[in-house]
Amino acid sequence: MAAAPGDATDETLMVRYQRGDRAAFATLVRRHHRPLYNYVLRQLRKPQAAEDVTQEIFLRVVENANEFKHEARFSTWVYTIARNLCIDQLRKAVHRRHPSLDQPLGPGDEQSALGERVADARPVGDAERTAASSQMMTIVTQLLDTMPDEQREVFLLREVANLPFREIAVVTGVAENTVKSRMRYALDRLRTALSDFEEYARALR
Amino acid sequence: MDCERFDRLVLDLLYEELDELTDASAKRHVEQCARCRGILAGLRATREVGSLPLVDPPAGLELAILDAERRARDELPLRQRLGRGVSVLAGYAMRPQLAMAALLLLAIGSSLMFFRARPGDRSSMSVTERGVPESDNDSVAVLPAASRGRADDAHGPPTVESTPEARKEQALGARPAAAPAAELDQAESPGDSAFQAALAALRNGRYKEAREQFESVATRGGSEAPAAAFHAAEAARSEQGCAEAARLFDQVPFQYPGTLAGYDATFQAAACYESLGDVEKARRNYQALLDEPNYGPRARSALDQLERSADPVAVASRRAKAAAKTLSDDQGEAKPGVAAGAAPPAGNTSPAAEPQKNTIQQAPASVKH
Repeated sequence: MAAAPGDATDETLMVRYQRGDRAAFATLVRRHHRPLYNYVLRQLRKPQAAEDVTQEIFLRVVENANEFKHEARFSTWVYTIARNLCIDQLRKAVHRRHPSLDQPLGPGDEQSALGERVADARPVGDAERTAASSQMMTIVTQLLDTMPDEQREVFLLREVANLPFREIAVVTGVAENTVKSRMRYALDRLRTALSDFEEYARALR
Repeated sequence: MDCERFDRLVLDLLYEELDELTDASAKRHVEQCARCRGILAGLRATREVGSLPLVDPPAGLELAILDAERRARDELPLRQRLGRGVSVLAGYAMRPQLAMAALLLLAIGSSLMFFRARPGDRSSMSVTERGVPESDNDSVAVLPAASRGRADDAHGPPTVESTPEARKEQALGARPAAAPAAELDQAESPGDSAFQAALAALRNGRYKEAREQFESVATRGGSEAPAAAFHAAEAARSEQGCAEAARLFDQVPFQYPGTLAGYDATFQAAACYESLGDVEKARRNYQALLDEPNYGPRARSALDQLERSADPVAVASRRAKAAAKTLSDDQGEAKPGVAAGAAPPAGNTSPAAEPQKNTIQQAPASVKH
């Protein structure tokens, strides 16, 4: 008895799609398009570009479906595609003299608005809590933008895509210990920047 | 667990990627170590404060992706579509049911190898061994079912003596019927009534008639001529003994070189010469067969036996016996009554005489398979 599409693993759904089951593909899209969109959005910081790239990721899945092997992890495969597309977009942005991701963002920039929008998406509590949360999100977003690319990449793959370190190592093509070191550096940076809010975070628990 | 190892595993502990045992060990260490407990608490707080909530993608993104997928599938190159079709077929081919069915068919097919046809009296199934001149008791002649049954009724199963002499006699007798089997098969076509009539006469002991008819068929020529010439010599042997038969057997390979009947006749001529004590001619004939694949081993065996028995005393004895036989034959023709009473029957004196009768008797002694 075949499992329902909603219960099946990504790999099983992908194999079904290889055999022509379009419902399996729809399940994969429903399951992954949100974290993928967020990963791309954090990398490119442009909602429209993130939307286009997310769509392009799934088109690549369609075009290369026959190459997917059941032994591979779908998440590893699809985030490798996403990472490569983001790198392509960022290169084009450099050629178009767009601001680098490493450059600090100004207060009136679009990316600051993104941080604020993210902060606003959190559950709304009392006014003080909402204001603190918004402030933290702004700091986190700015910190991410100033973070070295390799640290930001690992941080996003771990926190947004929720990939384990082993898979992140495959996606990024470096050793797992290297991935963990980068993650540790990223967390240390964040901890330093948010030191004022740590007590608040402990109070929230 | 010590602090050094904890430092290596702290991120795995933070993101719950440790296996159960290591996780328990790390947690025990954290409870006992204030330093490590502080590190873990700080990382947890940072992660909690710095966690990034997911932004909802635009409302139409999912539908746009599915629509793009539909269009992309329609525009896929033929090669990729074929590849996908092959993948679908391969998927079906790998289904367990199909594998079980293939296994079942394989098992049934392999079990058929252990079935064999039930032995029965079917004229369409006969096993023939031929080209073996000196067969002990496994000589098989292919004959029509009707004549085979008749012959069995008339003569019964052949009896085999184990003495070397008896084997030689049987070789003389059993061989001719099986020898030119190819020619017999050819000649025993329904349209060749003369050959059939001659064969029937031979089997029924009318040797003189059989010889005349076979010689007539051989003179007429055709595909059955070699076999007819061979059988004529055979009939002559049964009728007049080896002295006449050896001459006729000797002619067959010269008249029909390269035929099976010719080879068989050479062997029979050698056997006749041997029985007559003419070692030189017997040897010459056996040697002529040494290079023939189907006759070489037997000829070699017969030649060896000939050499062993070709001491002067044995040769003289055989020559004396042959001379006596020739004399008794002449007297028998002139005075049958005297021959019957004074001289023993030719078949009892000549080692080849009685088997010569068996020659025909054993011809139908087919072994049914």
